[in-house]
Amino acid sequence: MTSRIGFIVNPVAGMGGKVGLKGTDGVLKEALSLGAKPIASSKAVETVEEFLSNYSGEEIEWVTCSGEMGYNELKKAGVKNIDVIYEHTGKDTTSLDTENACKKILEKNVDLILFCGGDGTARDVFKVVKNKIPILGIPSGVKMHSGIFGINTSAVAKMLHEFLNKSLTIGDAEIMDLDEERYRRGEWNIKLFGIAKGIVEPTYVQVGKTSFESVSDNEIKDELAEHIFDEINQNSNYLYLFGSGGTIDYIAEKMNIKNTLLGIDAVYKNKLVGNDLNEKSILELLKKYPNAKVILSPIGAQGFILGRGNLQLSPKVIRKIGLDNIIVISTPSKLVSTPFIRVDTGDKKLDSDFVEKEFMMVVIGYRLSRVVKIQTNNF
Amino acid sequence: MGENLTMKRNPTAFLKEEYEELVKNGFDWKLRELQGPSKPKVTVDGKEMIMLCSNNYLNLSNHPKLIEAAIEATKTHGSGSGSVRAIAGNMDLHFELEEAIAKFKKTEAALYYQTGFATNAGLIPQLAPAKEDLIISDELNHGSIIDGVRLSKAQRAVYAHCDVGELEKVLIESEKKNPRRILIITDGVFSMDGDTAPMDEIVKTAQEFGAMTYVDDCHGEGVIGKEGRGIGSKFGIEGKIDVEMGTFSKALGVVGGMIAGSRDLVNFALNKSRTWLLSGSAPPATTAACTAAIHVLENEPQHVNTLWDNINYFKKELISMGFDCGHSDTAITPVIVGESHKAKDLSDELIKNGIFALPIVFPMVARDKARIRTMMNAGLTKEDLNYCLEKFEKIGKELKIL
Repeated sequence: MTSRIGFIVNPVAGMGGKVGLKGTDGVLKEALSLGAKPIASSKAVETVEEFLSNYSGEEIEWVTCSGEMGYNELKKAGVKNIDVIYEHTGKDTTSLDTENACKKILEKNVDLILFCGGDGTARDVFKVVKNKIPILGIPSGVKMHSGIFGINTSAVAKMLHEFLNKSLTIGDAEIMDLDEERYRRGEWNIKLFGIAKGIVEPTYVQVGKTSFESVSDNEIKDELAEHIFDEINQNSNYLYLFGSGGTIDYIAEKMNIKNTLLGIDAVYKNKLVGNDLNEKSILELLKKYPNAKVILSPIGAQGFILGRGNLQLSPKVIRKIGLDNIIVISTPSKLVSTPFIRVDTGDKKLDSDFVEKEFMMVVIGYRLSRVVKIQTNNF
Repeated sequence: MGENLTMKRNPTAFLKEEYEELVKNGFDWKLRELQGPSKPKVTVDGKEMIMLCSNNYLNLSNHPKLIEAAIEATKTHGSGSGSVRAIAGNMDLHFELEEAIAKFKKTEAALYYQTGFATNAGLIPQLAPAKEDLIISDELNHGSIIDGVRLSKAQRAVYAHCDVGELEKVLIESEKKNPRRILIITDGVFSMDGDTAPMDEIVKTAQEFGAMTYVDDCHGEGVIGKEGRGIGSKFGIEGKIDVEMGTFSKALGVVGGMIAGSRDLVNFALNKSRTWLLSGSAPPATTAACTAAIHVLENEPQHVNTLWDNINYFKKELISMGFDCGHSDTAITPVIVGESHKAKDLSDELIKNGIFALPIVFPMVARDKARIRTMMNAGLTKEDLNYCLEKFEKIGKELKIL
């Protein structure tokens, strides 16, 4: 069967960065006047070229947009089978162009959308694609916190290759971006916008002497859920705060708890006692339930457990709960792509308490954990 | 009846379906047939080949004393043992073997199991059975250890391969929950890379934290340590590893698992290991051949010496040709060639040239570390090795690995 890949380039992505702007969204003119040069096109070409140089599988049909939004780059990289399904009008491309192009691409039943841009572009793609098909990002923006990006063009080329070979699988990838509302108020906050389908390394179990079987992401999440059930049942006098992300959401669903995918919820004796909580309401709950634990999962491309996408878990909240009452869970495949867990609480003293711990036990299966190093560097 | 009766479910349809799925993906085992004994030169599916992928490292499976012992024991004790050992299947031959093992391993006592797998699957879950216990495992441990661990309710933690620093971190972090027992398990020799666990450091770290140590030395037995006495001997810590587990099916040329350790360990193990208690004991021929294997190791040092001469020569030559042989310090020498297809191509060509050596590819090893895993045999001559080396070089160049 022929594979079909949707391909979108945000030609202006990343232009804000080199001239000191925290993104290019809405400030393209300013970036241009400061002398910013486009970089996305060349990164897109580089990725596709590298991919083609190693690819020997069946023919691929590339579904893309006109001009700099895809066609030119594919042509330059030597792709022949190109289907242009979207023509952008006007001089500069905008978010709307990305969204409309995605709609058209989805109609073509592609296997995956490969895009080139940053967190802003990822959000635009995700707005339309949701978790219908996997998304893979060529990093070319100013901000790249989302979990769908490969670390560089060469990694993306390899991931695409392994995806088509079916040796990589589909898993959760968080879409994260700057919270513009807060940003306008002068706060730098990376918000979690949703969980997309990304390409991940499968988890393997040994079945024979020299054979392994890959285990689906959901099987691993089932194991993690079992672990959390045990944990909660053994500590019935504890309040459990459920963090955000696909893995934790999956566990909540298994417990028949209505969980907010992107927010913080509270569970006591297997019942939901607080939904989409803010800092204030968490602190109130902690007064009522002095024994509390929080379940977190690394999110985004850099593996943050605190400080990205969950500012509700403020330093005050974390101190109250206690560092030893943080339970970190992760699918093993997630730890392959983010071998560190990171915290950035915005509180230097608290961050240094984490640094002092040096490592944390991360639950990666039923009653199974491993140590993972903690880093607090900012991204 | 008949027509209206719809089958609730097809009870066995999965047998065919799942097998066909395996075949479709190329994951099914295609069994090769050895026509005759497992010798350094074997006949496989009608073709004569040099054996580079058996675990018969010392070629003891063909040793006249082992063969003789098996025949003799069959004559004197019969073909089977008649029962499990706990009831009526415990023979003088079994005790003799266990005494020989303990003496060889320089431990207080030893216990012989039916297989290595039965040892791990039977003993590990008993050593740390409860949810208050903790089992800490090297991330690259063998499948039978993993299965043994799965039979226990204990908490489990893994540490990065051979990383004692990380092991220590797991211990520090786990201590907060004050586990009832801690069991640290590692392979002695890792079968993919042929590297050895830093057993002296592991034992030292374990002692600091009051943890038990369990080593699966099945690829080290008969190969490493003085006179092939295994990993305890290699690091000069005989008797300090709580459970030294090994096998008779590799270098020792027979079949069966063993543990060596304290008398307390053996008393505990034989009363608790379900695999040992619930399956018939090893037949006289096997048991006596195992004892003979140990006597051969004690009295004929030439086998281990020749094995090491072969290993060192073969490895040195491969490296000087430009092959990447990893960090092996055992009879397993990986020839790392990169991408999976290169390893498969190299193996195919070697087999065509009469060299039986198989590829190991992702996910057994990293994507860019696919390899041919060669396993040395003391029965191979310089001439055999030179033939193999010449082919490795020629094919390596043709496939642009060199």
